[in-house]
Amino acid sequence: MAEQDTTRASQRVYTLNLGPQHPSTHGVLRVLLDLDGEYIVKADPVIGYGHRGHEKMGENRQYRQFLPNTSRMDYLSGMLFNHGFVLAVEKLAGIQVPERAKYIRVIASELNRISSHLLWFGTYLLDLGGFTPFLYAFDDREQILDILDSVSGSRLTYSYCRFGGVSRDIDSKFIDMTRAFLKRMEKRWADYDGLVTKNIIFIRRTRDVGVIDAELARRYGVTGPNLRACGVAFDVRRSEPYEVYDRFEFEVPTGSRGDALDRYSVRFMEMRQSCRIIAQALDHLPQGDFMAGKVPQKLAPPRGEVYSAFESARGLSAYYLVSDGGPGPYRCHIRVPSFGNLNVLNDVLPGTLVADAISILGSIDVVIPEIDR
Amino acid sequence: MSYLLSSEWSRLILGLLVAVGFSQLNALFLVWLERKIAGHIQLRPGPMEVGPHGLLQTIADAVKLMGKELILPLKADRKLFFVAPVLVFTPVLVGFLVLPFAKNMIIHDLNVGVLLIFAFSTFTVPAILSGGWASNNKYALLGAVRSVGQNVAYEIPLLLAAMSIVLMANSLSFSEIVHAQRRLWFIFVQPVAGIIYLISATAETNRAPFDIPEAESELVAGFHTEYSGMGFGLFFLAEYTNMFIVCAVATSLFFGGWTGPFGISLGIPGIVWFLFKTYVLIFHLMWVRWTFPRVRFDQLMNFAWKVLIPISLANFVVTAVVVKFV
Amino acid sequence: MKVKDIEGVMRSKFPDAPLHMDESGLTGALWSMAVPISGIRDAAGAFDAAGFFLESITALDFEDTFELVYHFNCYEPMSRVVVRVLCGHGQVPPSICDIYRGAVWLEREVHDFFGIEFSGNPDMRPLLLPEDADYHPLRKTFGKVGAYHKREVIYG
Repeated sequence: MAEQDTTRASQRVYTLNLGPQHPSTHGVLRVLLDLDGEYIVKADPVIGYGHRGHEKMGENRQYRQFLPNTSRMDYLSGMLFNHGFVLAVEKLAGIQVPERAKYIRVIASELNRISSHLLWFGTYLLDLGGFTPFLYAFDDREQILDILDSVSGSRLTYSYCRFGGVSRDIDSKFIDMTRAFLKRMEKRWADYDGLVTKNIIFIRRTRDVGVIDAELARRYGVTGPNLRACGVAFDVRRSEPYEVYDRFEFEVPTGSRGDALDRYSVRFMEMRQSCRIIAQALDHLPQGDFMAGKVPQKLAPPRGEVYSAFESARGLSAYYLVSDGGPGPYRCHIRVPSFGNLNVLNDVLPGTLVADAISILGSIDVVIPEIDR
Repeated sequence: MSYLLSSEWSRLILGLLVAVGFSQLNALFLVWLERKIAGHIQLRPGPMEVGPHGLLQTIADAVKLMGKELILPLKADRKLFFVAPVLVFTPVLVGFLVLPFAKNMIIHDLNVGVLLIFAFSTFTVPAILSGGWASNNKYALLGAVRSVGQNVAYEIPLLLAAMSIVLMANSLSFSEIVHAQRRLWFIFVQPVAGIIYLISATAETNRAPFDIPEAESELVAGFHTEYSGMGFGLFFLAEYTNMFIVCAVATSLFFGGWTGPFGISLGIPGIVWFLFKTYVLIFHLMWVRWTFPRVRFDQLMNFAWKVLIPISLANFVVTAVVVKFV
Repeated sequence: MKVKDIEGVMRSKFPDAPLHMDESGLTGALWSMAVPISGIRDAAGAFDAAGFFLESITALDFEDTFELVYHFNCYEPMSRVVVRVLCGHGQVPPSICDIYRGAVWLEREVHDFFGIEFSGNPDMRPLLLPEDADYHPLRKTFGKVGAYHKREVIYG
């Protein structure tokens, strides 16, 4: 009798193909869900739809030529990936960067981090069925895009950081716009809290949903806000400060339960910390060059390798470049945070509802083209 | 022949024709209104291009919908697939038969009007289920199954709330109920029933935050995922007509129908009062939709069975006792 | 300091393996250790026990050999450590996916790009490449290639 029941139970399981075209898979992700009713029995994320071979491209291009590619991996935090790449190449080639350029890069990177988190906030609420916060977030994000556009000439794929500095100096207009934005955001946090964070439906949809504990996160190499939501205060900007991050005061916000609500609040607190960093960087912005004097057009760094980690909006990212003395890297590997962050779904999704799967997927904040590279 | 032309029949047929026309116009207007309201809530103007403030936008959209091909999915149940949208829309129209738009503006003043309207609104459930089933699509089926669960659960508090009013007015006829509210609207006497009715009505019409049968971020488009052209159009029409009906019923049951507040009509015709109140309620539904995120299915069911039904039942019993002995 | 502890553990586990301290900070790691191919599971187990997480697995293709590069890190400042494994063309390294579950995907990715099979990994389907892909694009024999060196050319 008992045996009969189990066969019946296994027959009840059916497969739902979530994606690759689905409103909430954020890019082209496909998740094969084995469902029992609406409960998930097994989840198998299928990735690779957006594979463009960035690593191969890196290997048969010059360093300079690969720079535009870097902002096209995680297209939501292009500036951060630009920044990471120039840091890696500068280390490899031994290029000294002027102080002012370092500050400008930090300002631009943190602005980009806020814009990435704002977009995540909007789309996450969209996943949960709230339409309005999405447009509120986009309204704010638009301000950042305008600011970055005014200095880099592009809104998403910046290529603003260059080896030895940045492509253009920031002017008083940029500084005014940024300060105005910071001022605007001070009021907006309260709006968002009122509209979303204190909403009972929102809290019910996120609390204790998709719990990732610190041990699970470690096994999968989860980093970034998802890791900090489990209570591990690990941030590359703190643990191995690159650029001038050691000169700023900021906190590394953490959660305690590791659920979707914690991931939400950690990202929200991070945006405020980014605002703090920007304000400090603007206050202490040194005068001087924005570009190192002599950077050859064609770099030929000495033989060796460099592994340069940085904190992207989604977690620990790194460029691993091996140079054979030629004009381009012999091997160019990119460690992307979403890879581990998405992988953890294998263990988190089973046992949850389809509706929760969407909530969890959104709360983890993956950018699929970054994983696919 | 004379039987067909008797005043009662011609009144019914004429009424139904008017109802069909009105429901189309109403849907066109509501879609425009919804987009405008959504726009203004979301810091944007909404449709602006076709006609003044985009007024003609929905007409253009309707023409486009009618011109679109009806796509039958492979291995779908052909008959059921095409019948389902009609099945969804038709029972909605019946509601117009008994709605009292003004003192004498009622197509047929049935003495069981309240019963009729709720009975027919239940018909949408099998229609949605057959649409989702016939589509041969797992998302559609999931949406349809959710819809059945949700509608069954929310019809109970809806009916219990309405029945409390029936007890107060001592009649199932809409005009009698409105008449009973000449001086004081029932919302002031029965606030609990009123709130329960509005919540359940939102769920009954599959509106956000209870729009889980068509939750687009989860189920793509729920039960109407596979429908295109006017198949989709009819589902859409039914949804907006349904919205009007539940709000019109709410107006009649709780907000005094065609009468003004506290018997003060200010010389404004009854139909204006009626439509004004109905559209205010519809505005309220839209406002809610564009503010809240969606609840989860199990939370929705828990809310119905563990919160709404006990409260509405208690409210019903208390009302019965009070009406009987006071 | 977990990284000091693991240094002792690794030194005692692999007394013959060369441990290279990186004073320049260029490689982003405190030290790297070249571990024999059979010792990678041992090494991963030691890192797991010490509370490290696996940051990335990648491979380098040289004329004479593949080299697998494992980056381990823990949640403490400046504690990245590299384990390097020489793996000849055609050799099959053991999988560490039962130690670090995230390694299933990382090893699949390496398999995609370099065609290195990992014994013990239950799931060796292509991850990023199409499911019917029979090529390995990051090998230096595939497509447009700048240079193909022996390992000593770069690392001496």
